[in-house]
Formats: sequence, C-alpha cells, structure tokens
Amino acid sequence: MSKHHIKGCYYYPNSSQHQHCFATINKSQIQLIDTQQNALLSTFITDCQIDSPLRGVASELSFAEGGRFVPDDINHRWAFTHKKTGMSERLEKSKPLIVASIILIPLLLWFILYRGIPAIAVYSVGLASPATIEAMGEQTLNVIEKVALAPTQLPDETQNDIQLTWLQMLDKLHLDSARYRLSFYQSDYFSANAFALPHGRVIVTDELVIFLKDKPDALRAILLHEIGHVEYHHGIRLAAQATASTIVLAIIFGDLEGITEVVLGSSSSFLQQAFSRDMEREADKYAIEKLITLGYSNHDFADAIQALQKKLDEQTQLDKSWLKYLSTHPSSQERIDFARQYTPQ
Amino acid sequence: MEPTTVQNESTANESNRIIFQGRVQFGGQASEFFGIWSVNILLSILTLGIYSAWAKVRTYRYFYSNTKIDGHSFDYLATPMQILKGRILAIVVFIIYSLVVQFLPVIGLLFALGFLFSMPWIINQGLRFNMRMTRHRNVRFAFSGNYGDALINFVLLPIASVFTLYLLLPYALKRIDQYLHENISYGNKPINVNLEGATYYMAALITIGVAIGGLVIFGIFAGSVGAAMSLTSFDVDNFNISTLIFPLMIVALYVAFLTILRGVYVSIIRNHIFNSSEFEDVASFKSDLKPADYALVLFTNALAIIFTLGLAYPWAKIRRARLLAAATEVTIYAGALDIIDTAEEQQSSFAEEAANVFDIDISLT
Repeated sequence: MSKHHIKGCYYYPNSSQHQHCFATINKSQIQLIDTQQNALLSTFITDCQIDSPLRGVASELSFAEGGRFVPDDINHRWAFTHKKTGMSERLEKSKPLIVASIILIPLLLWFILYRGIPAIAVYSVGLASPATIEAMGEQTLNVIEKVALAPTQLPDETQNDIQLTWLQMLDKLHLDSARYRLSFYQSDYFSANAFALPHGRVIVTDELVIFLKDKPDALRAILLHEIGHVEYHHGIRLAAQATASTIVLAIIFGDLEGITEVVLGSSSSFLQQAFSRDMEREADKYAIEKLITLGYSNHDFADAIQALQKKLDEQTQLDKSWLKYLSTHPSSQERIDFARQYTPQ
Repeated sequence: MEPTTVQNESTANESNRIIFQGRVQFGGQASEFFGIWSVNILLSILTLGIYSAWAKVRTYRYFYSNTKIDGHSFDYLATPMQILKGRILAIVVFIIYSLVVQFLPVIGLLFALGFLFSMPWIINQGLRFNMRMTRHRNVRFAFSGNYGDALINFVLLPIASVFTLYLLLPYALKRIDQYLHENISYGNKPINVNLEGATYYMAALITIGVAIGGLVIFGIFAGSVGAAMSLTSFDVDNFNISTLIFPLMIVALYVAFLTILRGVYVSIIRNHIFNSSEFEDVASFKSDLKPADYALVLFTNALAIIFTLGLAYPWAKIRRARLLAAATEVTIYAGALDIIDTAEEQQSSFAEEAANVFDIDISLT
C-alpha cells in the first residue's frame, strides 16, 4: 500500500498555501489525499506535467489548474513518465560518461579553439566584400592617426626612394598598387615599427626608416612581411577569432563566477597571443619566399630581425617601448634561424 | 465598536505571529553536481552550444531546488527554449557589436556609447527575468526597477565617483545595492530595505586595511621566495623545477589574495543587506556570515580551482552555497500564508543572456 501512497506536499495554485498529503495512483488517475483522508484533488495522469528528472531534486507533478505536488523523497521517480525524459539524468549519473567528459572536454576545447575557429575565420574572410574591408581599414587608420601617429618628418627624397622600391616590388609580385599603399608617419608610441591594415595600407614609422637607412634590404624584408599579413587577411582573421572564442567560452561555460572567470579570461588572452604568433610565422614565411622570388636572399629577413633584436638588447635598459614590436612576435632567435635555414620547396 | 478593534488587533497579531524560524538548508552534493556539470559541458560542446541552454536550466534547477526554507524549496522556472532563444539573440547582437567595434572604430565609438545607455535597460530586464523565474511555495518573485533609477545608480553615480577620487564610491555601491533589493517583491508583497552608507564606508575601510596587511605579508613571502630562487639557481639540478613552480605559486597566491579581499567585503555587505531587509509580516532575515570564514572558503576554492585546472569548480560552488545557506536565518510570519502570485506576463531571456555574453556582472548576494 505504502508503495502507492507517496508522501509529499501540495502547493495551491498561485498561492503561498500548502498542504502535506499523499498521492495515490490508480491506472490513469492520480489523487491527492490529506492526512485527514480528505480528497484534495483528482486528475488524469495525462494532464500532469513533469520536469525533466534531475539528480538530487524531487520530481514534482504540475497540474493543469496551477497546483503542484512535490514528493518528500527526492529520489522518487514517477513510473508513468516516458523513458525519454529521464535521458539527461541517466547520462549525468553515468560514471563512464563523467570520466569521458573529463578527458574529452579539454581535447575538444583545444580542437575548437585552435583548429575549428581559425579554419572558420579563414573561410569567413572570403565573405567580406572589398568595399567593407576598405572602409574598415581607413576607419582604423583614422583612429590610430589621431591617437598615436604624427605627420612624417622624413625628407621627400628618402620617401620617394622607398616608394619607388615599393612599387617595383609590387609590380614584380603582380600585386595591385591601388590596393597596396605605403605611408610614413612619425610615432613616439610605436617607435621603430611597421604594421599593415586589413585593406592593404602599410604604415612604416620614421624611426624604423632612420634605423634601417643603411640596410635597404632589411627594410624590404620587413615590408614583405607586412604584405604577407594583408595577403593572408590576418587582421580580419584575428578579430573574427577573438569574437568567436569569446562566444564559445561564454556559451560552453555559461555563468561562471569570480575566480574562474579570471582564469578563463587570461587563458583567452594567451590564446590571442598564440594566434598572433602563428600569424607572424605565416607572414615571415611569405616574406622569405617572396625575397627569393624577387632574387634577394632569405638572409635579408634574418638580418632585419637581428638588427631589431640587437637594438632592443641595447635599449632595453633605457627605453621599454622597444619591446613593443617583438612582444607579440615569436622569439627572435627562432625567426632568425628559420630565415637562415630556409630552403625553397 | 470595540469588538472590531479587538478583531483588527488580533488579525494584526495573527499575521506577525512567528510560524517558523531557522537556517536556510542547502542539500546539494559535490559528487552529484560534478556529474551534472561535466556531462552538461560535454553535451554542450558536442551539440555546438545548443545544449548549453538545457545545461543552464539544469544547473539553476539543481541549486534552487536544493535550497530550502522550512522544508520548501526554491524553483527555477525558465525553460531551455526560453534560454536558447534569448541566448541566440544575445549572440547575434554581440557579434554585430564586436565586428563594428573592431572594424569600424568610428561607428564603434557610437555603439560603445549606446551600450552604456542600454546597460541600465539590460540590467533591469535581466533582473526582471531572473526574479520572475524564481518561485517559492508557488509564488514567484518580481523586480520593478525603472530605467531612470538604474541609469543614475549604474552609470551616473559610478562615473561621478571617479571624479571624487573614489570617495563617493562606497555611497554609489550602497545606492546600487539599495536599488537592486528595494525593487524586489514576493508575489504581491514588496520588500522593505534600509541600507546605510556608513556600513559601506566601514566595509571599504576594513577591506583596505586587510589589503595593506595582506600586501605586506605577500611582499615578505615573494621577497623570500625570490631570495630562495636566486640561491637555488646556482644549483643546476633544482633549477628547472624551482623556476617553473615559484612564479606560478606567486601568481596563484596573488589571484587568491584578491578573493580574500572580495570575501571580506562581500560578507560585511551581505550581512548588512540581509539584516536590513524584510517582507513585512511575511519574512525577515538574519545573516551572520563571518568575514574570515567566507574569505577562507573563497581563498581555498580559488586555489583548488587553479591547481586542479578547473576540476574543483563543482565542489567549490557547492561548498560556497552551503556556507552561505548556513549563515542565513529566516523568520517566517503567519502573513506568509496569504501571499498571492501576481499576474503572469511573457518573459524574454534576451537581457539576461546579453548580460552574460557582454559580461555585465550583476548578482544578488
């Protein structure tokens, strides 16, 4: 008898009132009877709703009129529920699956973040129209111009020389000179640096030109490296990947609190560093290949990095801004070695 | 007329008669929740994020249903489909927002400004959703804050406090907490909250005191580790291990140190909020969370999560919930039996999900 009498609590519809009672089930009907044997409610089982069962949580019956019956025994499960509804609970209880989760979650995350998202980013770059990319690039330049750049102080002669080299190089590589534009700016913030915007404008600072004035081959290698960034759409890919990984981590881990958010936040910035280092390697390889195509030496690139690194070593004590160019890049020695040992396939 | 007066008095006496007094009970088990947590993450990944809506509902249900007052549990009412729809919409908005900010910085600046002004709306809607989805004894909670107040409390006052060298900050935090809690109602019963600025200034001073004390100890520790490292670095055999582990330990301790500060501040404020809030003739609260206890639990939780690479997360979450429940006493009065659930309305989870994706951290203590 007790098997069919389930002890619990009935909550009246839309009210804070409740009543301790028993539920009895016969065939297709369920009846609630209070401790004085008065019937509180009688309804068809088919009119009851049951939430998906959850371990450690009582399985309550919701009735059509808004009342609820909650069994005292949190482990009680109703015999008449469909097998399907208990699926999640069975999975959550399954020891092999729990162990599998611990192993699979890190592996899958690594795969999604390091393989899946970069691959999707490469694909999605093709979807952006050139006009959009042009608008993006010019807007970004406007902002950087206001924040960190000043008009160039280089003599016209120097500028013209470099522009000429630039155009000759583009011509030989069959690159569109309307797309690839070279601009000079003076910048205390960037110091000796060069960077490429997504639409093909390459910015070189006065400081870098002056620093490499006796090494035109090294400057050419750096320019090729920047062209590499544009050719591979690195700017857009990096931005797309940053957005995508933020979303993936937010969805999968949901509402985390405090410390976990900090840990996850820092790991996603490590991720950005890793992405940008991979892209630097890609751009390095591009520069070296094109140097060889143009009939120059792969050592030019190694010389450029070596010169910057040497300058960095000298200046580290005096001026921290030199660190900026190299911090998001792979280790200089690694890049120098790669360039020196490069053999064209 | 006298009998009526007597009867009025007796009903008044009746409704503030104490019918229950006791601690909040929390029955969640780390081992149970570990299974739910890990399997749900796996399923979320395998379904490309779609199952995450189900995962969220199951996690919330687990914590709500395991939290009981007088044997009656809380219920989390949101359905996975509701969460999923809100989540998809929030992600679409987030993608557009990020792309614009990253690619079109000029328009992005306008967007950022727009975001600042939509934040109060998101906070309000998110709280409204969360309160409507919380039920106790068949009566749901509600939140009734308006945009103007939210704008003042979440945007204008915090900005103003920056210009007062943060002297206004504790007051701004008090206003935020006052706003968050005074707009809650349980069914047709609004809450009364009376927070005092003095407590916020005191909490800030105590936290700063602990921070200074902690930094001194931390400095001594880091210094001695540094000294130990420079000594051992002559020892070639030990070199690799010590160079790897000590910096890691210092970072871990630093992060954990911040959690201690958080624990101290939050526990003082939480006690104050609970002790100053009541649903008249329905329920009053007492919180006696000891700052040292709470800080210790958060500190050890942080270390456990870091050193198990996240595996201790379910255990840490359960442990914290248990401590908070045990530190909370609820007194229920006879008036609690007459509460009526207020009218139903359609609720969208968009704002709640947007708050999650955009990382707007609003949580009720």
